Amino acid sequence: RYTFSDTGVGKSSIVCRFVQDHFDHNISPTIGASFMTKTVPCGNELHKFLIWDTAGQERFHSLAPMYYRGSAAAVIVYDITKQDSFHTLKKWVKELKEHGPENIVMAIAGNKCDLSDIREVPLKDAKEYAESIGAIVVETSAKNAINIEELFQGISRRIPPLDPHENGNNGAIKLGKASTPSSRRCC
Amino acid sequence: MADNLPSEFDVIVIGTGLPESIIAAACSRSGQRVLHVDSRSYYGGNWASFSFSGLLSWLKEYQENSDIVNESPVWQEQILENEEAIALSRKDKTIQHVEVFCYASQDLHEDVEEAGALQKNHASVTSTNSMEAADSACLPTEDKSLNTVSCEMPAEQIPSSDPESALVVNDAEVTGEKENHCDDKICVPSTSEEETSENVPPAEDTAEQPKKNRITYSQIIKEGRRFNIDLVSKLLYSRGLLIDLLIKSNVSRYAEFKNVTRILAFREGRVEQVPCSRADVFNSKQLTMVEKRMLMKFLTFCMEYEEHPDDYKAYEEMTFSEYLKTQKLTPNLQYFVLHSIAMISETASSTIDGLKATQNFLRCLGRYGNTPFLFPLYGQGELPQCFCRMCAVFGGIYCLRHLVQCLVVDKESGKCKAIIDQFGQRIISKHFLVEDSYFSENTCSHVQYRQISRAVLITDRSVLKTDSDQQISILTVPAEEPGSFAVRVIELCSSTMTCMKGTYLVHLTCTSSKTAREDLEPVVQKLFTPYTEMEIENEEVEKPRLLWALYFNMRDSSDISRNCYNDLPSNVYVCSGPDCGLGNDNAVKQAETLFQQICPNEDFCPPPPNPEDIVLDGDSLQPEASESSATQEVNLEPPKESANLGNPEEPSE
Repeated sequence: RYTFSDTGVGKSSIVCRFVQDHFDHNISPTIGASFMTKTVPCGNELHKFLIWDTAGQERFHSLAPMYYRGSAAAVIVYDITKQDSFHTLKKWVKELKEHGPENIVMAIAGNKCDLSDIREVPLKDAKEYAESIGAIVVETSAKNAINIEELFQGISRRIPPLDPHENGNNGAIKLGKASTPSSRRCC
Repeated sequence: MADNLPSEFDVIVIGTGLPESIIAAACSRSGQRVLHVDSRSYYGGNWASFSFSGLLSWLKEYQENSDIVNESPVWQEQILENEEAIALSRKDKTIQHVEVFCYASQDLHEDVEEAGALQKNHASVTSTNSMEAADSACLPTEDKSLNTVSCEMPAEQIPSSDPESALVVNDAEVTGEKENHCDDKICVPSTSEEETSENVPPAEDTAEQPKKNRITYSQIIKEGRRFNIDLVSKLLYSRGLLIDLLIKSNVSRYAEFKNVTRILAFREGRVEQVPCSRADVFNSKQLTMVEKRMLMKFLTFCMEYEEHPDDYKAYEEMTFSEYLKTQKLTPNLQYFVLHSIAMISETASSTIDGLKATQNFLRCLGRYGNTPFLFPLYGQGELPQCFCRMCAVFGGIYCLRHLVQCLVVDKESGKCKAIIDQFGQRIISKHFLVEDSYFSENTCSHVQYRQISRAVLITDRSVLKTDSDQQISILTVPAEEPGSFAVRVIELCSSTMTCMKGTYLVHLTCTSSKTAREDLEPVVQKLFTPYTEMEIENEEVEKPRLLWALYFNMRDSSDISRNCYNDLPSNVYVCSGPDCGLGNDNAVKQAETLFQQICPNEDFCPPPPNPEDIVLDGDSLQPEASESSATQEVNLEPPKESANLGNPEEPSE
């Protein structure tokens, strides 16, 4: 499972808030970050989130297909104060539908909802769009820790319980790293 | 997205093939500001893998290659008086003689039925798009492919026998024990639990397929996303340089691998399995007790042949195949050792070459499983992407579909100082790394290339049927006549995530002596039979059937010396395209050499300072890192993993 979107909308902040419950005002554009993990209880199961940040490769629309491999969910983030970022989001949704795994759970996060006085994207627009593509939608604030937990909880609930997604990788060899068969891999 | 690129870098890398990507990662890791561009819309250049529809559009692009319109701003105006320009090519000339054959039924009615039966919502989007491409591409295209191929006879290549690829020397004798150990722990697909678990998900899908159990072209199109078709067909030697680099740099975390499960041989018209590990030899039913002993004795000697110079010194002058005849080996065993283990030429390889190759093979056995090879899930094309990701993680900037029009050279210093891109933007840098297909004819006028012949087949069953339908096999078919070359066949099953369920993806590769089809079709005919509408009756006897086939030649620039290119400034470095060899050592060596020229005295892809799972905040990375929950999780993992791999001796650097 991974997050991506237009640059500068706060993907890394969301991830950082979710995993570390921490917000840094002047977090540098993502350098050195790549993936984080966090385990979330969901019903009787533990969902292990392996979150891949896009490391800026989305910036010039040059995201590598390896990001999609075996992903159970994608979080696409836009900035509610920037209409452009919402347009870009639509491009990513299209890209994902064309090239991503078929049963991927999509979640749209309108970040920076603490700045709603300078909002450019009405929540209604986002909701209508999300409904049209069958995605989860929430407005979040990584800064004030609003809806971050809810976002990932929502994804957790959507991920089908018996993992029918194509990732029949049992037996795959991880060179540096063991895959943890007890939990679901979603990157 | 409408961002402009920054106008200054330390290193600009043009081309996203494996060597370029490794260098980009290494430079970025060493703190260089890296811009990595590719004129194509995908990562990997000739190292890429494609979905089925992606492959069809790639083919189409080559067929339409000639009519690229020049609509970019004119760069000539930007060149100042004290500057010169080296124009780059906008046309890729590395692929020739493309021929496509479709044998699977193309009945469109089935297409309609299938669409209802398969409840895969998003698939329809892709398939409609790709149908057009498919229709045009599946006619044989001989007319297009009359360009001449340069076919000087190259000297035989012995890719895998170089001494440096056998890096880890100790532990060799424990092979047998370790194998057992590995079999339990990691899941090499030859254990039975493994298979059952793999076969569970397919069961669902089979139900969706038509009952007559035939795969049609429209199904291939529809399931096109399941395919990841490599342009180059390679494997990773489990002690090769690439594996070592992946582990050392931690890039390995971005990829997953499967062990090749079988080494096969083709002898007297039959495909058979080659016993190569100790366990295989003892379990083999095709070998007699005497043969088993002979083979074990010989292989044990090869492991440490340097220590017994008396046993081979006298034969150094002869070929390995003649040498094998002098050893106590039956013809059967000689064949296995020569073609399936050493995988070298019968006529052109010396005794030492053969011993080295055999030793390398044996040393790679047992690290991850029963054969010396690994294959990356989703195809070889994942590997350049993994290194690109590492580069990006350390701040490298990525830009696909980005043309570089020319390199700008300062007349006085003779050094390259900038590039001018398709938008006319001038981007300054200190070093320029260019994949050789980007050079124009002016630059390459004296270069003579070899060619690689490639075929990609989609078939309906394995060349050697066994209980499990999830086998990954490598088979070497020796050269038939002098002047031709041995053909390497790699058969991938669907659990490698490179083909749809119920099919196999077969890659054939050899050094070219003629066009790809002329070189490879004889072997294809020996192993496969074209799919026809005939009813299947004696299924057991029949060969696997071809559903679809592609032939093409790829340029092999791996042994071109830098001096062959005209007038290159000293800070312009050249990366070659893929070589014909089985392993990836060539690419890694090239990358390391060039990296050392760009960043002398810097470590080549050292492990990241911390588990890179942390959002670094410039100055305060250490404290943040050690407190985060993310770190703790990751720190827990390494011990587990080495246990799982049964692999205690990871490189320590």
